[in-house]
Amino acid sequence: MKRRKVKKSHLVAYGFILPAFIIHLCIITLPSLSTLVMSLFDWNGLGKAEFIGFDNFVEIFTKDSVVKLAVIHNLEWLAVFVTVPLILGFIVAILVSRIKRFQMFLRTVYFMPYVISAVVAGRIWTAYMNPFYGLNTIFGKMGFEKLSKVLWLGEPKIALFSVAFVDNWHWWGFVMVLFLGALQQVDPTLYEAARVDGANSLQELIHVSIPGIRQTIAFVLIMTIMWSFLTFDYVYVMTNGGPANSTEILATWIYKNAFVKYRAGYANALCVLQSGICIILYFFQKWVSKRGGLDDE
Amino acid sequence: MNKKWKSAICTFIKWFFLICMASFALIPLLQVVFNSFRSDQEVKAMPIGLPQKATLENYFDTWTIGEYGIAYLNTLLVAGVVIAVVLTVVGLGAYALSKLDFRLKGFMTAYFFVAISLPSFLYIVPDYSLLNRLGLVNTRVGLMIVYTAMQIPFNMLLLKTFLMGIPRELEEAAKIDGCSELDSFLKITLPIAKPIFLTVALLVFVNVWNEYLWSNTFVSDDALKTVATRFVRFTGQYGSNMARIYTASVITMAPIVILYLLFSRKFIEGMTSGSVKG
Repeated sequence: MKRRKVKKSHLVAYGFILPAFIIHLCIITLPSLSTLVMSLFDWNGLGKAEFIGFDNFVEIFTKDSVVKLAVIHNLEWLAVFVTVPLILGFIVAILVSRIKRFQMFLRTVYFMPYVISAVVAGRIWTAYMNPFYGLNTIFGKMGFEKLSKVLWLGEPKIALFSVAFVDNWHWWGFVMVLFLGALQQVDPTLYEAARVDGANSLQELIHVSIPGIRQTIAFVLIMTIMWSFLTFDYVYVMTNGGPANSTEILATWIYKNAFVKYRAGYANALCVLQSGICIILYFFQKWVSKRGGLDDE
Repeated sequence: MNKKWKSAICTFIKWFFLICMASFALIPLLQVVFNSFRSDQEVKAMPIGLPQKATLENYFDTWTIGEYGIAYLNTLLVAGVVIAVVLTVVGLGAYALSKLDFRLKGFMTAYFFVAISLPSFLYIVPDYSLLNRLGLVNTRVGLMIVYTAMQIPFNMLLLKTFLMGIPRELEEAAKIDGCSELDSFLKITLPIAKPIFLTVALLVFVNVWNEYLWSNTFVSDDALKTVATRFVRFTGQYGSNMARIYTASVITMAPIVILYLLFSRKFIEGMTSGSVKG
């Protein structure tokens, strides 16, 4: 009798959890697994698929020169995003956490670009970076002749960094709010103890603030690193990989193969590569932050 | 005296820097709003500045040419259905994960935790062929299905964390009074958890409204397009009219910005909650 009752209560729980689980399983997890399998096929995405073993991967590593370019661009992207928004977000978070008035107001302002859709932010900045009708007009009027002639999104050497600048504009406020939230959780008695010991504000920063938020720093690092290889929206909207593949990243290249060239099998192989890089970086970062004392799990 | 000066300079530099960063975040957006009230020639001659003679012409043109009325309705319809379904399945699921006992509880929690970080490129190609086989490509229903699935893991854990904070005794008391588990969820937990349900609804709305990759890939029919895709198409087609690009940007982001200004605390807390457990 008792046993049946336990089972019945289990049934209710399964009834509650299964709808969400089944939807997610069918639309996301199983298709993700099928990507792994389909990476071994020659497939246009709709018709019949032909098994070709590891040919797609051989092509990625030997024939496709764009892949190498894309990975390099992703690494450049990573280099920008593990430094600029983190440092900026950290400095501003420290400053904001020490002021008494307007704290909430500033937080709301800094976070605002983050809620705006990537396509709108991308298009707004594309308009500002327009070579004839954008900010260049202002540079010209201010007398910066050279600056006013720069093709922000058209010059292969700087296009990627122009896009990264815009993504940073949208992203740093989010990082700042994460840091601010963590800083506000740091036990205030630690600061008092440091002050009693005669620490100045720089020493306080190094010995109290940074250790106090190290888990958040580790989290932001992991997120940034993985996301640097997944990023898509801003590049797609602003340059779509051009000019001349100079802003091509893995995600845009996957998208082009899957939905422009109709090489879904090959795109799937690229997805496997992309996810593989993310997983490797994830564990690498875990290992590094464990050694560096950022993570104490 | 010297010390006083030093701290005054420090304060000045600090505030100067903070205001500069605030301007960096805000001015590009404010200028977009200003430009939407200016004529195209004015914007092209000088992209920064206040409107000399404010005009609403851009809004009439952009709204009608861009067919934003339909786009708004499409997005609201998709978002409404997705919010309703997500709140239902995630509400029940989070209740089970936080309050009930069952054998696969640990597995389910871990499953949704891992699911958060699955990149969308891993499943977009197979989903396309799946929905194509079901005849759901180029329909709003197709979008509703994929959006719902994508919103589940994050919101599940967000809700679960919140529901764990509600004492189980309240629901137990209701059950002693003869309520079923579903009744106690609806009558006890739901009213207490209303604020977090509102947060989830807001987050889902923002994500659906801003989403571009999937709606651009899965919907090609203009009459079914959501606001974000409609916006990209419009700015691509009428890219030579700068004033209209700025106006279209305002039309596209206005609902989100208004909601953000009304509920900024919920937005910020909801969007950054993933890092709490890090």
